[in-house]
Amino acid sequence: MTPTLLGRWQTRILLMETVGLVITLLFCGGAFGNPESSDYFWLLQYIVIFGLGWDYLYIQIQTFRWDQDWPAALQWLAALWEGIFIILLVGIADIKLPPLEGWNLGWFIVHYSFVWVGVFVASQSLMRLIFPRWRFRGGQWL
Amino acid sequence: MTSTSPGQVRLSWQDPVTGEQRNPLLSCPIAFGREFAQMPTDLQGQRVARIVLNSSQVSRYHTLIEWVQGHIRVTDQNSSNGTWVNGVLQSNYDLSNGDLLKIGPYEITLAFTLDGTGRPTTEAREQSIIQVPEPDSPVPVEPVAAGSALPPAFQAHQVGVQDLYATQLPVEEIDYLAVGAGLGSFIWVDFLRIFGAAPQQIRALGIEERPYARYQRLCLNSQIPPHERLRSNSDSCPDNIWGWPGYALREAWQEFNKGKLNPALQYLWQVFAEPTFSQTYTPRAGNVFASIDREAVRIGWPQIYQFGRVRAIRQTNDGRYAIAYSPGRKQIAFVVARHVHLATGYPVLQFLPDLKAYREQTRDFRSVVNAYEEHNHVYETLERQGGTVILRGRGIVASRIIQRLHEARQRNPNISILHLMRSPKPQGNRFGKAQRPVDNHFEFQPFNWPKACWGGTLREVLEQATPDQRTNLLADWGGTTTADRLDWKQLVQTGLDQGWYQITFGEVTRVVPNAQAKPTTYIQEKGPRGEIKLEADFIVDATGLDSKVKTSPLLNDLVTHYNLPLNPAGRLAVANDFELREMRNDHGRMYGAGAITFGGPYAAVDSFLGLQYTALQAIDGLVTARAPNLQRLNGISSCQQWLKWAQNQAP
Repeated sequence: MTPTLLGRWQTRILLMETVGLVITLLFCGGAFGNPESSDYFWLLQYIVIFGLGWDYLYIQIQTFRWDQDWPAALQWLAALWEGIFIILLVGIADIKLPPLEGWNLGWFIVHYSFVWVGVFVASQSLMRLIFPRWRFRGGQWL
Repeated sequence: MTSTSPGQVRLSWQDPVTGEQRNPLLSCPIAFGREFAQMPTDLQGQRVARIVLNSSQVSRYHTLIEWVQGHIRVTDQNSSNGTWVNGVLQSNYDLSNGDLLKIGPYEITLAFTLDGTGRPTTEAREQSIIQVPEPDSPVPVEPVAAGSALPPAFQAHQVGVQDLYATQLPVEEIDYLAVGAGLGSFIWVDFLRIFGAAPQQIRALGIEERPYARYQRLCLNSQIPPHERLRSNSDSCPDNIWGWPGYALREAWQEFNKGKLNPALQYLWQVFAEPTFSQTYTPRAGNVFASIDREAVRIGWPQIYQFGRVRAIRQTNDGRYAIAYSPGRKQIAFVVARHVHLATGYPVLQFLPDLKAYREQTRDFRSVVNAYEEHNHVYETLERQGGTVILRGRGIVASRIIQRLHEARQRNPNISILHLMRSPKPQGNRFGKAQRPVDNHFEFQPFNWPKACWGGTLREVLEQATPDQRTNLLADWGGTTTADRLDWKQLVQTGLDQGWYQITFGEVTRVVPNAQAKPTTYIQEKGPRGEIKLEADFIVDATGLDSKVKTSPLLNDLVTHYNLPLNPAGRLAVANDFELREMRNDHGRMYGAGAITFGGPYAAVDSFLGLQYTALQAIDGLVTARAPNLQRLNGISSCQQWLKWAQNQAP
């Protein structure tokens, strides 16, 4: 992948709020044997919002790479970091992110992994089929 | 051969954008910089020769060469990236004959004498060229230039369609015409079909039916047989507009179905981790060609393709274009088309002038060859008898030749390679905060441009840049590179350690036959008395292809007839959607693609993925212009079309 900043933002918002949202709503309804909660929904929104900031950082890192690319492996490392960041923030530092009510580390990891894998798979396949120009425009689909 | 007089310097370098050789002979003082106006016009009453070097790594006024007290001295003008002499940063330095000056991506060799005597320097010379090898064809290469066999009606600025019919020669009217019928044409036609055009609306004119025939021939000649891998990405698929599934996934699936899990997983890991944690995946040539064959049948290419050598292109007086072509020897026919796409590819091969001169003098076409010509006899002879090969050029083709010679060494160890390079490569190009890696004087990059040139940040930067800025950027990103492959690097290191592969630096002064009629190369090494003699059984020129418009008679005629602008690299000037704006004719549109448009809004024009980008831009432009039967490819139609592709149904 060779994303641009605008492309990162557009792709993140689109995939998180479609594929990610569907998976999250399943979690909200307790479809995986988890306790029902709207927290999954709000956590998803925080992941998107923080992500817009991380995307800016990633674009800066990309300029140090000669090919200015972002291999799938780095996408995974970035996703790992973004998940850890939420754990550090909410689970360890105990910072209140309204309107989140509770925190369950185990279910967060399951939810986050499902969302992320769903988004990754969609970005590697469906996005290309629905938006044939997407890969030439650094991830911009609008 | 000419000698320089005192104070005169022969500069020679290879243009990092076009690969052309430049050899001006200039009198001191000589200034170098990015902006002509920023360099002094005269110094102490002497007129300054000002050399503009296009690169963001070059300062506006970068460095100065002067004749000072019997010395030729270089003085850096507080440039941002410095002046390097023989790989060392210097602010003020007395130069010797043969020194190498590095200014940004430019590597300039200097030749001069301080007293007017001594060794001669190489003569100024133009890059020489030869024809790209073609199959046996009933229609000769020589185009019927304007005036000879074409009817007088065709000489008008705008041709009357009735006048063409009046010639009694065959005339066909069609909506879409692709000139070239190579890969560039094929990809455009493929997209036209996917966007809604019917096969009977499209014609592709060329001299070979298989769209990859010429590409494949150049691959085979440069020693890439079907099982070897191309320098191309997994999702650069000429048969598939979506790039999905890519060749890695397809190859993994093939292996998986054969029960081979390990290679399958390896390909998937490669596309996942490339290029940082694993070597970049590249597809096998044979798999790419097979996929194109399948797509050609699916879109009705056999019906669309027509044999014919295109002679001339004109506007018509009813908002279309008339194309004259030869469907057979001494025959002329016309196609009148509403929309035209030009993708004629590389017209000629670059051939080093000293080698071309050798062949012309000796008529020996076996000892001195171009890597893109058929030259299997070189390997066959070497495998039988052993011998020495001099290799010139250091790009991907040179790499492949080294690998092939290494394979030949498995059969006969008495083969040695002398790799002749113009100059050492101490460090790679820089751009912004990044630098390209270098090893053993080879510069490495997975593909021929930084990856973000295809669809990332660098594509955007280039598209938004002015023509001058584009030249700077292309110089920074371009240059000769080879693929970063571990096995190949190990092979080179082993060769260097064991001595059967050697690298020599120098400027070739001449190549002449010795007593045994074998080519002997004389090179000018650094220092005052540095002429050395290199003997070899074969010389292989791997310096590349040339796509200047002037080298193609068809394009040259078009450019001359309509007074079309060229871009700074000497190729067709195109808009961001690859339209030749000056050729617009009422509703008629003409587009360019491939090597003939290099130097414009997109760097990687001659790659599979670049041709797809270009075709997409052009067809989106045609949709906007309401071209017949084309519908914009939206999310739904795109998915529908993909399903048809997957099921191998016609679009």
